[in-house]
Amino acid sequence: MTEVSLRRLSKQFGSFRAVDGISLEIGHGAFVSLLGPSGCGKTTTLKLIAGFEAADGGAILFDGADVARLPAEQRDIGMVFQNYALFPHLTVGGNLAFGLEMRKRPREEIARRTAEVLDMVQLQGLAGRYPRELSGGQQQRVALARALVIEPRILLLDEPLANLDAKLRDEMRFFIRDLQKRVGITTIYVTHDQSEALTMSDQVVVMFGGRIAQIGAPEDIYDRPASRAVADFVGRVNVIAGQVNAVEAKGYRVSTELGDFVLTGTARPGQTIELALRPEAIGLVAGGDATVVAAAYSGGLVDYRVRTAHGRVLEAQAFPVPRFAVGDAVRLDVAAERLWPLA
Amino acid sequence: MTRRAGPLLLILPAALVLTVFLLIPYFNIVLMSMRMPGNGVPYASGWTLGNFAKFFADPFYLEQLGNTLWIGAVTTLACLLIGYPVALQLARGAGALRGLRYGIVLTPLLVGIVIRSYGWTILLGNNGVLNRSLVGWGLIEAPLPLMYNGLGIIIALTHVLLPFMILPIMGAIQGIDPALELAARSLGAGRNTAFRRVVVPLSLPGIQAGCILVFVLAISAYVTPALIGGLRVKTAAVSVVDALIDSFQWPFGSAMALILAVIGGLVVVGFARLTRMKWVRAR
Repeated sequence: MTEVSLRRLSKQFGSFRAVDGISLEIGHGAFVSLLGPSGCGKTTTLKLIAGFEAADGGAILFDGADVARLPAEQRDIGMVFQNYALFPHLTVGGNLAFGLEMRKRPREEIARRTAEVLDMVQLQGLAGRYPRELSGGQQQRVALARALVIEPRILLLDEPLANLDAKLRDEMRFFIRDLQKRVGITTIYVTHDQSEALTMSDQVVVMFGGRIAQIGAPEDIYDRPASRAVADFVGRVNVIAGQVNAVEAKGYRVSTELGDFVLTGTARPGQTIELALRPEAIGLVAGGDATVVAAAYSGGLVDYRVRTAHGRVLEAQAFPVPRFAVGDAVRLDVAAERLWPLA
Repeated sequence: MTRRAGPLLLILPAALVLTVFLLIPYFNIVLMSMRMPGNGVPYASGWTLGNFAKFFADPFYLEQLGNTLWIGAVTTLACLLIGYPVALQLARGAGALRGLRYGIVLTPLLVGIVIRSYGWTILLGNNGVLNRSLVGWGLIEAPLPLMYNGLGIIIALTHVLLPFMILPIMGAIQGIDPALELAARSLGAGRNTAFRRVVVPLSLPGIQAGCILVFVLAISAYVTPALIGGLRVKTAAVSVVDALIDSFQWPFGSAMALILAVIGGLVVVGFARLTRMKWVRAR
């Protein structure tokens, strides 16, 4: 197991600051996701850690030793690529043996470890197949096995589920997370898919424009976003304005178009603040001064758009029973504990 | 029209052209190769296999065939050794000059075959630019024999056939996912090892195609060997034309042409079998 720390890491392409001085500590055996829109620097950060790109500044420490000057082949990393990057001219066995051959391991050991790792990813008996003879999900697992068979210090995954269909993607989330826990390897996972990041990670690092916008557990990122940009990127969110009208012992009272609420924390009286409210924190009750303007049934839940008496359209998400139709008059039932003030 | 007839109709023009201009003449050559040799006329009445027997009984023709295959093989190897780095550069290199470099690769094909071959005689002759310069600079005493021999033919053929080696290899290398090299590096392979273990094997389909193209074109080339080899070194293709045009021996010339085609074909099939890649997708 390895601790990874990035210290003021930066990388520039021409005048574009792809990675702009980021610092990050990743503990032994942690599963950390780098989450952000395309061009936010998450993939470049991964390439810097892997050694595929040279950093312009800063340090990359594996267990305290700076590896920034080491070429990729000496960093002892396992990497899974978005399109798997399996060697098409080698069989599954040949792909798995590649890294061990580079390490000049004896033939018996290569055979034993290859078989072990095939077992681990549940692909027993496929060693003689060529990659093109495998399904997408099987190729994905071979790519994982190839990265893990060399027993690397850290595992890097670059959007590994992007090319799989929805059902397989959900299965692979659990598979990868479970495998990572069993092996206990420090893992850095790059994705633009917030639900992947939230379901799999110990820690999520949200990145925008080459900088880290927030680091936190999935619950922190989703329920307590550090900024409106984070709140917007990670899931859907309603942002409502509020005015602090009294400071009380336990917190402060804020008045909004949805009513008055008491929030914990500190604020100045008279201050205007923005509050984040997730759609599922708004319940609908029949009869009221708000109107349903859209309803989309998606199986387990229904997504509503509701216009308030003030003319604002908010997003709400609720179970299909009771069901409301477009035009129905409803009252919004806000879970006050889910209101989160944005900086 | 049924739906199935559509695609068939589309290949009809090509099929017609091939039938009229390739299959029928080829069939005619096969018939001609079994005609009796004539005296003062192209061929006489009656049928024989003697034309083939004459070829295989004569060490002169066998040696010439061997020389032709040898020239083809050496030209192919030379094109491969010179062409591979160029193909790699073209496939991987970026930048504004890419179009220009691509154009330079194609230049041998942009010059007429006679002019190009004549150019080589100016360069390679005993009194040519190359020999005069080398003698003038005192590097050699007497002119090097660069013309009227196999070496001259190989030099000139390598020049003109180089694009046929470079283009398929370039295509193959361009088709290699750059992530494969990164994957190899992440698994502990240095740059050179990654190149040797990943890029080279994956470019084999291009190498195979390039070698077959260059070999076939080299052994069947006529103008270049005729102009550079002169009267002293003749390749099989030159002899075929001699027999057909100069000595008016249509049956024997046809037999020689067939033998050259069949043996060239056998070499290609054997090469393709030896270099068969199990991992290449059957299309």
